[in-house]
Amino acid sequence: MTMLKIEQVSRTFPARHGNAPTKALEPTDLVIGNNDFVTILGPSGCGKSTLLRIVAGLDRPTGGRVTLDGREVTGPGADRGMVFQSYTLFPWLTVRENIAFGPRERGVAQDERNKIADAFIRQVGLSGFENHWPKQLSGGMQQRTAIARALANDPKILLLDEPFGALDNQTRALMQEMLLGIWERDQKTVLFVTHDIEEAIFLGSRVIVMSARPGRIKAEIHVDLPHPRSYKIKTTPEFVQLKERLVEEIRTEALKVAEHA
Amino acid sequence: MRPLDPVTSRQRAAYGLAFFVLFVALWSWATFGGHVSKTFLANPLTMVQEGVELLTKHGFLFDIGMTIWRVVGGFALAAVIAVPLGVLMGAYKPVEAFLEPFVSFARYLPASAFIPLLILWAGIGELQKLLVIFIGSVFQVILMVAVTVGATRRDLVEAAYTLGASDRGIIRRVLLPSSAPEIAEILRLVLGWAWTYVIVAELIGSSSGIGHMITDSQALLNTGQIIFGIIVIGLIGLISDFLFKAFNAWLFPWKLA
Repeated sequence: MTMLKIEQVSRTFPARHGNAPTKALEPTDLVIGNNDFVTILGPSGCGKSTLLRIVAGLDRPTGGRVTLDGREVTGPGADRGMVFQSYTLFPWLTVRENIAFGPRERGVAQDERNKIADAFIRQVGLSGFENHWPKQLSGGMQQRTAIARALANDPKILLLDEPFGALDNQTRALMQEMLLGIWERDQKTVLFVTHDIEEAIFLGSRVIVMSARPGRIKAEIHVDLPHPRSYKIKTTPEFVQLKERLVEEIRTEALKVAEHA
Repeated sequence: MRPLDPVTSRQRAAYGLAFFVLFVALWSWATFGGHVSKTFLANPLTMVQEGVELLTKHGFLFDIGMTIWRVVGGFALAAVIAVPLGVLMGAYKPVEAFLEPFVSFARYLPASAFIPLLILWAGIGELQKLLVIFIGSVFQVILMVAVTVGATRRDLVEAAYTLGASDRGIIRRVLLPSSAPEIAEILRLVLGWAWTYVIVAELIGSSSGIGHMITDSQALLNTGQIIFGIIVIGLIGLISDFLFKAFNAWLFPWKLA
């Protein structure tokens, strides 16, 4: 059973060049239970990525704490897999070696970790590309490899920071279906950050809406659409209704940001 | 011709060769045409004759061998010390803060100015020659490697941490492999500079090597031999550069993929 608790977590970036300190994140509470798929939705600059980086252990909170199964997060670790928006595959490793990176760090023998890697390569549909370098892959294929690499460590929770943000619309829709398919089959706990409203609804069981400057949780919306979901769900009245509601929520926040910019 | 328009590899080779031809043609025009006195500049034909004589009668091959051994020896010595130190400096900021100011200062000390001092310390034997190359290369390599390692993409390091890498794992499996091609390029570059130091070292207090031959020829006003020596240095540099490039391409296929 996985339980991620974010308790009163805040982040203030220190003053620089005479500017006042930036409050990126107000004290925030959030609990993510076992096999939850939570999407965090907000305009850019709302602190959603900061929150995710704190959960990953790549950033330290100014106040509050994050615990995973009762143990406080003090730094990055293999129990929290992360997929970044930028392409972060190791360019000197092949697809298979990239996916086997985590198991290799844990000291898993070569045969064993190749078996693990090949299983995930099949799962993300990259069979035949095992020995390709990242440079030879399209953006979508690179992100699929990155997801497989994070999953190969069998993390308790998967953290995704706008992983499909740089992809074109068609590829993005396919990637969403693939990720959701993995979740529906294997029941993973997922925290997914995005600024795309449709993506947040389509993927999430819960959508957390964040407000901008300072970042805080503004609303929490349960998505009761049935599983398994296919792309067709995006045109159902229930989906459209949710989307309308979230468009309003996000619009007011985006306006706030635009006025301050 | 349009800006940044590529050329085929065939054209590239042809253009490159064309300049050499142009160069020799100009040289021939100046010497055979009598525009430059024989005392100051030998013509290409004399140069070739002198070269053959050097190789067959004066054991010039031995001199070439000595010079190559000095460059490679001094350079290898420098690389063995400089690369690990540079990696440490790039990876650990306190080490960088400790060493960087001194290395930056030492980098500007001209290796050739050390020759009199090195003769005093190490005599005029091989050690002195190696030390000149060493001093000329080591600080450059340290600094350039440190900068390269320090510039490793942060997101790759972060990704490795979230995959469970330890601090040692970060150095061995992220910093080193990601900087390795750049480090190889740095070594290729600095090896080229080492060639200039070795000749200077051989011009002073030496009884063998290409530089020694050049000083001897100067005393005899034999410009043909001097030019032949210089051209040999250029050719060896060209070959070693080519080998280094081919070796790097073979070593890091992911860079070219």
